[in-house]
Order: sequence, then structure tokens, then C-alpha cells
Amino acid sequence: MNPLRETELLETRRHFFGRSATGIGTAALASLLNPDLFASSSATTAAGGLGSVPHFAPKAKRIIYLFMSGAPSQLDTWDYKPKMNDWFDKEFPDSIRNGQRITTMTSGQERFPIAPSTFRFQRHGKEGVWISELLPHTAAMVDQLAVIKTVNTEAINHDPAITYIQTGSQIPGRPSTGAWLSYGLGSMNQNLPAFVVLHSTVNGGFGGQALYSRLWGAGFLSTRHQGVSLRSTGDPVLYLSNPDGMSPSMRRRMLDELAVLNRQQYDEFGDPEIQSRIAQYEMAYRMQTSVPELTDISNEPENVLEMYGPDVKTPGTFAANCLMARRLAERDVRFTQIFIRQWDQHGNLPADIRRQCGIVDQPSAGLLRDLKQRGMLDDTLVIWGGEFGRTIYCQGSLTKTNYGRDHHPRCYTKWMAGGGIKPGVVYGETDDFSYNIVENPVHIHDLNATILHCLGIDHEQLTYRHQGRDFRLTDVHGNVVRDILA
Amino acid sequence: MAWIGQGWDKAKSAVRRVYCWGSVDASVRFNFQFLTTMYRTLSSLANARRIWALAIVWLLLPGRGPALASDSAVDFSRDILPLLSDHCFQCHGPDQANRKAGLRLDQQSGAFAESKSGSTAIVPGDSQQSAVFQRITNSDPEHRMPPVDFGKPLSRAQTQLIGQWIDEGAPWSGHWAFQSPQVPPLPSVLEGWLTENEIDRFVHDRLRKEGLAPEPPATKEALIRRVTLDLTGLPPTIGELDDFLADDSPHAYQRVVNRLLDSARHGEHMARIWLDAARYADTHGLHLDNERSIWPYRNWVIAAINGNMPFDQFTIEQLAGDLLPEPTLDQRVATGFNRCNVTTSEGGSIDDEYYVRYAVDRVETTSTVWMGLTAGCAVCHDHKFDPLTQKEFYQLFSYFFSLTENAMDGNALLPPPTVKAPSAQQASLRQSLTNDLETANHEIESIVTEVDYVDPLAGSQLGPIQEAEKVWFDDELPAGAKPAGDGVPPWRLGSAPKHPVYSGQESSVRSADRLSQHLFTEATDRLAIGAQDRLFAHVYLEPDDLPKTIQLQFHTDSWEHRAYWGLDRGHAAGRDNETNHHMGDLPAAGQWVRLEVPVALVGLKEGDELDGWAFTQFKGTVYWDRAGVVSVTPLAVDQLESLTIWDQFRQKVKHPALPEDIQKIVDTSSDSRSEEQTAQLSDYYIRNVHPPTRDRLMEPTQRRDDLQKQLADLNAAIPSTLVMEEREEPRQAHILERGEYTLKREEVDSRVPEWIRPPLAEMPANRLGLARWLMSPDHPLTARVTVNRYWQQFFGIGLVKTAEDFGIQGERPSHRELLDWLAIDFIESNWNVKRLQKSLVMSATYRQSSRVDPDKLAVDPDNRLLARGTRFRLDAEIIRDQALAVGGLLVDTIGGKSVKPYQPEGLWKPVGFEGSNTSEFKQDSGDSLYRRSMYTFWKRTVPPPSMSTFDAPDRETCQVRRARTNTPLQALVLMNDVQFLEAARKFAERVLTEGGTERDQRFQFAFRSVLARQPNPTELRSLTNLLEEYQRDFAADPSAAEKLLTTGESNRNDSLDVQELGAWTMITHLILNLSETVTKG
Repeated sequence: MNPLRETELLETRRHFFGRSATGIGTAALASLLNPDLFASSSATTAAGGLGSVPHFAPKAKRIIYLFMSGAPSQLDTWDYKPKMNDWFDKEFPDSIRNGQRITTMTSGQERFPIAPSTFRFQRHGKEGVWISELLPHTAAMVDQLAVIKTVNTEAINHDPAITYIQTGSQIPGRPSTGAWLSYGLGSMNQNLPAFVVLHSTVNGGFGGQALYSRLWGAGFLSTRHQGVSLRSTGDPVLYLSNPDGMSPSMRRRMLDELAVLNRQQYDEFGDPEIQSRIAQYEMAYRMQTSVPELTDISNEPENVLEMYGPDVKTPGTFAANCLMARRLAERDVRFTQIFIRQWDQHGNLPADIRRQCGIVDQPSAGLLRDLKQRGMLDDTLVIWGGEFGRTIYCQGSLTKTNYGRDHHPRCYTKWMAGGGIKPGVVYGETDDFSYNIVENPVHIHDLNATILHCLGIDHEQLTYRHQGRDFRLTDVHGNVVRDILA
Repeated sequence: MAWIGQGWDKAKSAVRRVYCWGSVDASVRFNFQFLTTMYRTLSSLANARRIWALAIVWLLLPGRGPALASDSAVDFSRDILPLLSDHCFQCHGPDQANRKAGLRLDQQSGAFAESKSGSTAIVPGDSQQSAVFQRITNSDPEHRMPPVDFGKPLSRAQTQLIGQWIDEGAPWSGHWAFQSPQVPPLPSVLEGWLTENEIDRFVHDRLRKEGLAPEPPATKEALIRRVTLDLTGLPPTIGELDDFLADDSPHAYQRVVNRLLDSARHGEHMARIWLDAARYADTHGLHLDNERSIWPYRNWVIAAINGNMPFDQFTIEQLAGDLLPEPTLDQRVATGFNRCNVTTSEGGSIDDEYYVRYAVDRVETTSTVWMGLTAGCAVCHDHKFDPLTQKEFYQLFSYFFSLTENAMDGNALLPPPTVKAPSAQQASLRQSLTNDLETANHEIESIVTEVDYVDPLAGSQLGPIQEAEKVWFDDELPAGAKPAGDGVPPWRLGSAPKHPVYSGQESSVRSADRLSQHLFTEATDRLAIGAQDRLFAHVYLEPDDLPKTIQLQFHTDSWEHRAYWGLDRGHAAGRDNETNHHMGDLPAAGQWVRLEVPVALVGLKEGDELDGWAFTQFKGTVYWDRAGVVSVTPLAVDQLESLTIWDQFRQKVKHPALPEDIQKIVDTSSDSRSEEQTAQLSDYYIRNVHPPTRDRLMEPTQRRDDLQKQLADLNAAIPSTLVMEEREEPRQAHILERGEYTLKREEVDSRVPEWIRPPLAEMPANRLGLARWLMSPDHPLTARVTVNRYWQQFFGIGLVKTAEDFGIQGERPSHRELLDWLAIDFIESNWNVKRLQKSLVMSATYRQSSRVDPDKLAVDPDNRLLARGTRFRLDAEIIRDQALAVGGLLVDTIGGKSVKPYQPEGLWKPVGFEGSNTSEFKQDSGDSLYRRSMYTFWKRTVPPPSMSTFDAPDRETCQVRRARTNTPLQALVLMNDVQFLEAARKFAERVLTEGGTERDQRFQFAFRSVLARQPNPTELRSLTNLLEEYQRDFAADPSAAEKLLTTGESNRNDSLDVQELGAWTMITHLILNLSETVTKG
């Protein structure tokens, strides 16, 4: 289908929803504008998506993406390299580096000494997956995970790298993954956005590598597909609360009268945009009630809260955000992305990564367990990981107990679980230095292709014509990693 | 009834067409549309003629369904080229590297040539012999083109169309937009149809052919609101509205248009739109996203537009102002256009990569804005659709690759190259100060020149210097002194032998683990200071417990006289001036050391008196003893009149104010001085010491110093801005394989793509050459692309909908002849922008009613045929500015630095880099809250939310077409954003104070302020009921009204009744939320 025309179709559907929500408009006009009026009667049909999507039966209905911004060290978490213990402080071999570029943060270093991980690794789960002591809770869930050790990218610095994995291009301007999903699949919920973003505090504050609204932006797609931040302070959704002095009933009467006046305008001018605006005000009003209900966790039982760990009751923490992600998933929000920063450990890595893992480990595992007990893990795809990996060689001074690691794009670890993913798999292998990939590389385009596949989308077919070209999330690349699919 | 039969025939043929296309191509809506129309045709025969005409029209719409336009011959450029481009060029187009089977279908020579295998792709007149037709109709999917896995099959109708075209002789022409526009014949005026200018003749001609007719003119109220919003971005005031309504002359509307075009608001509004294209913002955009200063460029854009700068000049100055002969400051500031791109300074980044990225961005932006060319496609390979090769891309790239900028912006406010860009007022002030300074200097010099100095005491000798040491305190503090200090007691004294003591019986001692001190003040026995004096004290540092810093502080009427030794950890750290002078390293420890401080170093002057003294230290253990002043008897006046005597005095008594080079001469024995040194010393003496001359110089010197300070202050206040500047040694550009900066291939130089338009005869290989080439009158793209953008601005959608893409994949123009006519007219008018805009808004097409006829809506939902006036949602900035304007809040200052009006708390912190200077939002107050939205501080990584919610772009890349959505988040902004609530509150005050005393008068005032029209009786009834309800609500709960009226920082008009104002605020709030309010209709 021609994407230009698809967009127009989208507009038409929007008009329909505007009308049906308020029950106005002449039937003749409605039918004229809305081809779906007779075609679709199922209440579960997503609103606003493309008619041709999904391209095949999806395994997952929604995604929860736990994004570790700053890039966690794979060497200290998932990619066990015991041989490196014999290499302590030895020079990183040129034969392994093989002329690859390195960042200007370490390119001036005289030496590139090997820094083996100080953390103990043990085997876990049916497959005996090696996992560091830093992630005990996640380790207990390893039989649910597909651990990919060979994710790779070309970008070696944060801004281009995170823009790349989120939008498929290192250069700003493209739509983010969530925006593509909203565009293709539409929303399953009439009262909440299709794409929600949550930011996590670390020790009560933020800080760390910057995030950019382009990471959840719509690029050249309609801005209605951009991610909406659900905030832990102030209004959860911007501008949600009525001002002091305006009671809900005053608001309701204002909106009623607004609709009356707008309808008169419609009767006079016949512009369907007016109908649509009436409907959007109604949805705004519904959000005013549905969002507080969403963020109120007072009815969550203690045994559920416990799964997420002690931080869960502190709004804005990673734990609280994981719980919120489950609540959003229950309400069929299509794509929830949680960002947590401060993984950028160029120095003092052992202490800092211990803190970070301490923050994310239990809530991530708790989220998986909670989804599973509700039967939701079958159709919810959960993803964990950052924008690139870290180097085996030390940045700064190396001791037996302390070291730092620079950016490493050529291999790092992410895991996926749930809808569409084969549980209990370890995929891909890196060399002894976790520097090069030995088998089964998974480029971030492959990863994104696989994510779309789980949602029933052929990544080559979900396109949008912009500047004369059919753009896609995976640009002109990407192969679905079939070996990790259920 | 013959026409009915005729109609049926056409309708039936249309049905056939629908079925054969519908299989693959036509949208659901297409089918449905038609069926509905058919239904109506059957059910309403009386109206049949109109309906089927509409149905046919729908089929003919550009970009709507298939390109089959009519029963006439196939048009290659319109019907065939898009098919070949979309379905074939990927493998058989301009991209040489990926061309399959050596077949090239984007050029006639390639398509008609015989291949090696002996077959011919296209045999004109014979589709059956044409290999192309054979392959696209091949029943075997294995052999059929395009390949199945390409995913873009041709429909049967499309293959038939290609066959028909071949059979008709395969007439070939180039892509329309790449050929120079030709003056089209002007369609005749249609009788009975209101025609204001040429635009209408083209639009009407098309409407007539489609069986449609325009709407009648909009009401005067609707028209003035529409045109005022379009030309200034603000609503008309009631005064402006009344003037127009009262003006019955035929020129009334034209007078309004002229007034608006002359308004300074016009330049702001148009500049704001241009800044989307320029990707203007107030931060770098990448990584830290720190603030950067390029707003003087924004001022330039506003001024250029308000001055109606011809578009060619507007272009040349922005692309290459720095390369014009002897460029003016304004012309250099204009080049900020291509310094608006996003930049980085992320640790770890590699310079070469970013030099490439910046140049690529500039090529993409320049190509999009002036040529509607999607050049970015050719970064990695030859363009897939348009004939732009990768080599040509890097030739364009070369124009932008040799700037003096650094790859890393240093996270700086002003990454070089920059220029100082004073406002006109600053420039004139600077000139007058400079003139005054020159006068003062001239006076000084003439006084000095007049002096015919003869040393009255030449050859005589200075007697012994009179120095006297006065001990101010030793074991006893001076009379009246009030001791104080950290700890109890404030002063600790110790005696020998336990403590080191310098003189007398005791010394003070202090041990500290931080900054600590003891002191006294209010001594009645004050210490008088002479100009040459030195303050002294004795100190002993404990070797085992060294301090980091020791400091002496002297009190006159303030403590701003300090001297410190060691690290800068004392009081008033970070200065090193006379309020805290760094004397040097810590003195030797374990022994008594005498510290001396020349008074001039700590800002003390002849006649000052000390009444306090402080001993300060950072950490360590320190003993102090015996302090006072060494006073030096100064030279007598008659001695001062002798250079010889003064010279000898200064050899013995140093003065810190004496310039170093003069002190050096003084320290050189007089017979070893060079002639030059002797003259220099004499000159210094006459100017600064010689009493009669010094007296005469006092006034002009004081004046000169004042002027210098004023100039320095002014220079510090003059903003700087980023500009373009060319390296002396150009950086060599290469073709980069796959766009990778590390994969350099063939060297290329700056050149333009000749297939668009050959190079000019005289064309420097730099940006100036490029700019002039773009603006050459026969350039096929620049004028079309530009007039199309203006069309889009006024009519919502461009004549070419894809304003950013005029290439083969772009949309065909809805009115190609009109576009060409406008383009040629624009060039012939010497690129007169205001004239162009005037012709658009003067047209009857623009002035039609925007009522949406359901039948017209059915056939032309996007109003591409312009059978009605345009309606669309206002831009984000206009929505906010309108609210501020009707609230009486809008501040009309033009230009300047960006401001930070209200935004919800905590937006920057959760995402900002900790070290970024934009990681925390600090809201402005006062006037800055109410400036036009174009001045709102734009942080690219977190754009202002009330703007981006209404589709303002993020300004990270060039944008020439904004989206226009309609979302619940927009409703929430208008419902609850403090700036809209505050505007409603102030608007209600205006209604109550300016809107008359009767309720209905007030409703009328409110409606007319925003919508420029009277409320109708039903609306009045609605509003009255609502107002009464809210009056009752607030009567029941007056505190609610109080609360509502505290929104925003502006004061409340206390003379108005709170409950009444609260109820009216609800009404104005409702009005600001009306669909009509946020719509240009």
C-alpha cells in the first residue's frame, strides 16, 4: 500500500473515532469518510494503526524495554571471560584490536592493560548460563531469558550510539522504535498513549549521560506517535491536572459547553477536524481520570510489591517504574520504555556497577516474575540492555580491585524475554577478550528487526515515505534472529 | 436527458477502472468513496449530474489513487516516470554501482538502446517487442519484473498504462521540475466568477474542468482574521476589525494587507517559519546540549524580512555573506544560517567524523531549502531516483567542507568563528564613545607636547630616605580595639619558651582544620596610611602543621583589603586583585618571617585609616607577632618637580603601581640606559608625576579612563554570534564510500550538478558561486521551490505537497502552470517577497469562504483544488501568541536573546547531562514570560513542551513542512498550561474593564477579540447559562475563585470582584479552547 495514502486513511479513521466518541455527525457523512465503519466491529481493534499491520500473527502485543543508558559492562555481568585472570595488567594484543578505532578518551593512553572482572561468576538455570554475582535475582529467572552476547554497533560514543539503537540512525531526524510501533500498530487503549517513557532516579537524583527527546521522538512521522513521558513528580502526564480552584464538575461543564459550541461550528463549516477536536477533548478528560488511577499503586498487594524490591514505593525509582510498566502493560499500552542512567563507568567501575546492578537486578527480575504469574509474559516482550559495551582494557589506572572501561561497540550483551522469544537461550559467542565476535553476530538493526518481528511486523514492510524514499526502522539492513524466536 | 446518459457512461467506465485498479493499488477509501458516490447517484437522480462529476473529479486528483488523468494520451512525466521511478529505478536508475543487467531506465538513451543480448527495453510504438513490457507482464513470477522480493509489484492497470504509453510511441521527456519553467498561457477569466488576479484564472480553469465552482467570499470578519494571522501570526485587534468593517471602499482589503505587510510583526512571523528551515535553536543539540549564542542571526532574519530584502540577496548573504567583497557585519551575521546545525563535543569523539557530518548536514539543508532536492540520499551511493550522483554530492559537500570551525564545539557558548554583532543602538553608542575617547587622547597629547620640561634640580642628589616604623600592636592591641575570632577565647596568646615569640612577652597562636581567624575592629587609635607605606607583621609557621593559606585583612570602612600567601583558600578566594592580593608562596616555616604588604597592593590610599586587622589561615598552626606600618616620607613638591630626584627616590622606594618596564628603567643606572629608555622614562614622568602637568592632565585623563571603562562595558554587553569563515588552505574533499569518513576514495572539488543547470560563466568555486548559481534566473528549482513554500504557508498545502522533495519521487504539482507562472513572476519581480505574498492573499481564491461543502469534501478532502478557502489548525507559536495578545500580556519588543517562559517543572533534569549548563531549567520572570513564542529558549534535546505538543519541530534538522496533528495532549495544554490560564484570567479582566458594562456586550467583546466575529444568539444563550452557573459556583465557594485567579505571575486587578472575575475567567478560558480559536478559517 502506498504510505502516503495510508496516512490519509489514518486521518480518516481518526475522524471516525472523533465522531463515534461523541455520537454526532450525520451517518451519511460518517460513512463517506470512514470505510471501516462497516468493516470493523471488533472492540479490540487497535486505533490509528495501518490496515496492513501486523503483517503476520504477532507473538507479542506489547513491549517493555529496560534501557541501561551509558552502557553496562558486559564483562562484569554476562560475558564471562575466565582466561582474562591470567592476563591481568598485560598489554591488550594488537592482533585482537586489529586496527579498530578507539575513542579519543583512551587513544592517548600509553598502555592498554587488560582488566579482568573482579566479580565471581556462577552457572545458573537449566543451561548453566554463566552470570556474575551482581545479578542474583535476574540469574534466578535465566530460564526465561534469551541472552544475546553478540549485539554490536558502529557508534563509539553515547549520543550517536543511543540515537542509533533507538532510531536506526546515528544522526538525529528518524522516528524511534516506539513511534514506528505506534504508527504501524496504533493504540490498544483509548485512554492512554501508545508509547510511554519513564525516567529513573539513581540514589534520589538523575545525572549521567544525557537523554534526548529524539530517543522517543516521532522523527518525520506524525508527532502523535512520539513517546509520552510519564513523570514521577508533578503531573504524571504534562498538563494533566486542572488548575487550583477549578473543580472536576466545573471542568466537565466547561467541556460540555465547549463541545456544544464546537458542534455549532461544525454544523456551520462542516470541517471534520472540528469533530476530531471534540473527541480529543473527551480523551483528554478521560486521561484526567485514567492516569491517576494508573499511577495509584495503593491496591497492589504486598507480595507483589516485594517482588520489585524495597525501592518500589519510592516514585521515580527503577523499581517503581518497573511496576508502572506492568500496570501500563495491563492497560495494553503498546510500548513502555524505562531509562536508567549512570552506567557510563570509565573509572571506579567495580563500585559503580555494583550500585547500578543493585538498583536494577531485583526490579527487572520482579517484573518478569510478575508478568509471568499473570500470564502476561507470553504476549509481552521484555528487553534489557544499553547502547554499546565496554572494553577489556583498562581506562585510567589499573589495580587488582579497581579499574575503568572505555566504550566498546563491537560486542555486548542484551537479553530478551517473553512474547515470541525462546526462553533459556544463550546466543552468540565472543572471543576471550570479549572484543570480537566469534559467532552469530547480532547487529542492532538485527535486534530491531527481531523486536518488530515479535510484534508481527516485517521490518522491511513497515515503511514511511519521506523525501521520496521509503524509510524503515532498520534502514536497508537487518535480519530477524530466528534462532532466538519461540 | 441526454446528459444523464452521458454521465452514466462515464460513471461505468470509472467503475471498470476502479475494479481493475482496486485489486492492488487503490485504497479502501478509494473503493468506498466511489461506492458511496454511486449510491448517491442512484438515490438522488435530481442531483446526479453534480455527483458523477464529483466522482470523476476524485479520480483525477493529483496524488490520489492512480495517475491516470483522463482519456487523453498518456503523459510520460506525469504518468509513466513516477511508475518507473518507484518500481524500477532501485535497480535500473541513476545509481551506477547497483545497476542490474546494465539496464538504465531513467534516461531515454538507455531505455531505447539495444542490449548485448539483442533485446531492446523499449521499442517505441510496439509494446510486444519491448523487453520491459515482456518482463513486467511475464506470467512466471520468477521472471516477472519487478522481482517479488522487491515488494513493490506493478498492478495490472499500471502495466497496461506502460503498454499504452509504449504503443503511443513512448514519447519521452525529462522530469518536470528539472526543466526550466516556461511562461504558461494565461487562462481566460470565467464570466460570473470573481477573479482578482492571475492566480484565480489558473485555479478557476482547473475547477471548471473538474466541474466544481469556488465558494463565495468569506465574511469581512473571517477575512481580516485570516489574513492578519497569516501575515503577522497574531489576531486583529478590535480597533483594526472595526476600521475594516467601517471601510466600504473597494480598496479596504488592500489597505489592510498593506498595513500588515508593513507591520514589524510581519517580519517576526515570517522569520519564525524560516527558522524551521534554518534549524535554529539555542543549544548545540548533541550530547551536553549546552547553550549557544546565535540569536543575532535571528535578529538579522527579522530585519531582512521586514526590509523586504529580495530573496536572491536574502539567499546569497546567508549562504555566502562572508565571501562577498568587503562584507558588512550584517552580511557576516547572515551566514549564521549554516552554523545552526547540531554540533558535539562529546568526550571520545573523533574530529574527522564530525567535519564530515557537519558538511553533510549543510548540503542536505541547502538542497532541501533551495532546490527541494533530497541530496542526502547520495551520501552513500548515487541517488536511487534523481540523477544526482554520489560524486556530485561530494562536490556539493566540498563547498561546505573548508570552514575554520572546530569539529568539537567545546560545549562553548560561542564556538568560533564568531563576530561581535552590536545592535544599531550599540553600534552608534560605540562610535560616539570612540570619538570622545579620541578627543580626550588628543587633548592629553597636546598638553604633553606643550610641556618644555627642564629639570630644576638636574645633577643634584636625593638625601637619605625617611622611613619610620610604627608598631601598631605587639603584646597589647591598639586602644579601643574589639577582639574577635573563631573559638573561645577568640585570641590565644602564648609565651616563650613553650611558644615561639618574636618580640615582647607573647605571640598569638591559632591551630585550625579549616578556614579560621582572629581579628579586632573599632580601634580608636587608628593607623594612618601614606601612599608609599608598607604594612608589616611577623609570622611563624609550625613546620609539623603547615597551613595551606595565611592571609592578612585590613579594615577601613570595609574588609576589602586583603593579602594572602600560599593557596587561594582564604576569604574572598578567586580574585587576586586589590581586594585579595596574592603575595606569593607561604613563607619559610620554623622561623620568624617579616611579611610586608605595600598599601597600594591592597587598595589603600594616602589618607586612609585602619581601625581593624585580621589574621586568617586555612588549616595548620600559625603564630603571629608585632605588626604595624613602615611609613615613608614622600618627596616634597619641589623634589617631585625634578625627574632626577624622583628617579633616585623610585630606585629606593618601589611603588607597585609603577609599570614594570618603567621600574626596570629606574633600576638601570642612568648611564647604562639607552636613549630610548631615557626618553620613555621622561615621558612617563611628565605624564604621571610632574606636578604642574599632572594637574593639567587630571581632567582629560579622568575623562579618558571613564570612556575606556564605558567602552569596555559596552563591548562586554555586545552579543557575539556564530558565522561562516573559509579556511585559507581548503580541506580536500573525497567521495566517501558508503558515506564512511574513513573510506576516502576519489578526490573531488567544489562543483555544481550540471544537469540541473550548467555552471555560470563566471563562477568562483566557493559558496558565493554556489549561491549565485542557485539564484540564477533560469535555475529550474529555486524559484519554484520557494514560491511553493509560500503557497504552503498561506494555503496549508503546497502546490507541490512534498515541499521538501521536487524530485521524481516527490508529488506532482496540483497546478503546475500556476506554479510556473508564480515562479517566473517572482523572478521577474526581482525576487520581491512581499509582492509575492500580497498576490497570494489578494487572490479571490484566498478570500473564499472556508465553509466545507460535504460534496466537495467527499471528492477533495484536502482541498487541493481550492474550491473553498483553506482551514487548518494554527501553528503552536500562533496559538500561544494569540492567547497572550488577547490577554493584553504580549510584550512587543523585537529581537534579542531567547527567554524562558513557564514550563512544567522537572523537564530538563531527568534527561540532561549533569555537567550541561542547560541541565536545569530556570524560568525567567516579568516581561520575558510574555514575549512572542519565537523568542522562547529552544533546547533541542528537550524542546518547550507546549510548542512540540502542537507539532513544532525539534530543530535538530532542517524542516520545511510541519505536521498538523490533533491530539488529546493538545487539549490538555490548552486546558491546563499556566500560560493559557493566565492569559484567560487577564483576558477576563480586559472583558470586564474594556468590554462595556452589559453582559452581552462583554460576550461580544470577548468573541470579537479572539474570533473577530459576533457571537450568534445560540452561542450567547450557551455562554449566559454557563456564566451564571460559574457565578453560582464561586458564590458558593469564593476561595475557589481566589485560587483560580492566582495562576501565573502577573498581578490581578484588585478593583474587580473576585467571584465575577473568576466566572468570566472560566468563560474566556472556554473561548481560548474553542476549535475555531485554534483554527485559521
